[in-house]
Amino acid sequence: MDPLFLILAVTAGGIAIGGGVHFIPVGGAPAAIATATGVGTGTAMLAAGGGMTGLITAAAATSSPNLLLIMLAGAAGSALMLGITMLVGNWVYVWGVACVPSSAKVDVDPITKYEQSKYVTPGTEGHGIPTVCFVSGIIGGLLGGAGGGLIYYALYNSLATLPVYAALPGASISIFAATVAGIFALGVFFVNAVIASYNIGGTIEGFHDPKFKRLPRGILACLIASLVTGIVGYLLVLGGAF
Amino acid sequence: MSAAGGPAVNPMQILALGLIGGLILLYLPVLVPLGPMLGPLLFALGAVVAIIWGADAIARVASYGLGTGVPSIGYMSLAIGVIGGIAGLAGALMFGSMSAWLGPIMGVVLAMIVGAVVALMGTQVLKMKIPILVRCTIELSGAAALSVLGFSAAIAGSLSMAAILSSVVATGFIALLFILNTMAIQHPFNACLGPQENRVRTLKLAGATAFMAMAIVGLLSLGISKAWWLVAIVGAVAWFYFIRAFIQASAKEAASVKWSGWWPEEDET
Repeated sequence: MDPLFLILAVTAGGIAIGGGVHFIPVGGAPAAIATATGVGTGTAMLAAGGGMTGLITAAAATSSPNLLLIMLAGAAGSALMLGITMLVGNWVYVWGVACVPSSAKVDVDPITKYEQSKYVTPGTEGHGIPTVCFVSGIIGGLLGGAGGGLIYYALYNSLATLPVYAALPGASISIFAATVAGIFALGVFFVNAVIASYNIGGTIEGFHDPKFKRLPRGILACLIASLVTGIVGYLLVLGGAF
Repeated sequence: MSAAGGPAVNPMQILALGLIGGLILLYLPVLVPLGPMLGPLLFALGAVVAIIWGADAIARVASYGLGTGVPSIGYMSLAIGVIGGIAGLAGALMFGSMSAWLGPIMGVVLAMIVGAVVALMGTQVLKMKIPILVRCTIELSGAAALSVLGFSAAIAGSLSMAAILSSVVATGFIALLFILNTMAIQHPFNACLGPQENRVRTLKLAGATAFMAMAIVGLLSLGISKAWWLVAIVGAVAWFYFIRAFIQASAKEAASVKWSGWWPEEDET
């Protein structure tokens, strides 16, 4: 496979992951004690959950030659994992902490048009995951998972053509190529998730958050970092294993 | 950042211990035939010194307050370390199988390059105001790559790409090493941070997490490496020594608080 395709795929995938993280309602430590809107953990944990699930579902579609199907599989896995995380988190906020999911960044939820400011406890920056954050998080999961799937597809198909990485007799896919591509895509996932996290300063509510305007800068940083990672990744194809 | 009472730790000494010590421990079994028992032990010890180096680097950079928590930079550096390490091992083979010995050095250098690019993105594009971000991210990425290579070689019994590919990557242990080494590198400072952080005590905990990881690596190599029990036992014994030292240091410093009361409220990070 063309080396340029691999490098461009890693770059594009990295941008999709980095951009996707800007959509995810990352609440960090304040959200963990229900004093800020979002999921109560950091980006790295959400990247671990969403990214790994997305890569597992993308890898499940490995035998398909269709790039779109692998990207869709990754997107579905990541979005599903993030959706479940946000939903169960909301159960804890609503029935455990007893607070109303509400955002302090907007007066009216842009999707449901529900009033927000009345329900925000004084002294906090909102709590739980209101509808707009949930929808935003799903978009982020879809983007991130598709990006991870793209990277996985590109590296798997580049490696699988090498004789060293050929599929074992009786197997339709190469386990070596699949695992190397999987761990590489996971690495790119984490790198871009943390770069995006640096850009948003740790916490963001979603696309309605004023911090979302920083997206172009985050995209630029992810583009350059992923480009370099893609070039390093090409060494995997160049060197082989023996 | 060293608190009252504890001797300061020189970052250059830790860097030398981790980078040079780690590379020597990784290369010694390659250069000198030490047999199937001693080789994996030295590989694992190379990873241990690299983890201690990484724990010191993360403590220096994260005491500035990254805004994203300590674990995130740990995960990122391990991601870079895994990418760089595997790409280095594979990339060294593009000059032919004679140049395979270049692999580990190339892995560490590649990881440091990617780490430098990511950190430069942080300071130049994202305008993060942490003066030592670039230096510490480079150190962390190098330490991460060395720790992954060391533990991978300890499981596979050799530093060759083919052996690591079949017994570490294809078995999925690489994903476990990713998280295991992240925890070993980021946990010490994450657990000890605060105004009274004492770097010596943090590094004692780093020794404990590193050797605990080594003991687990020993168990993982059961069935792959003959030296699995040696790696596991040495790791477990050294873990006991370090966790004991850490608990004693914690009790000693808690005593000073018990006698003189709480410290004044200042520079909460």
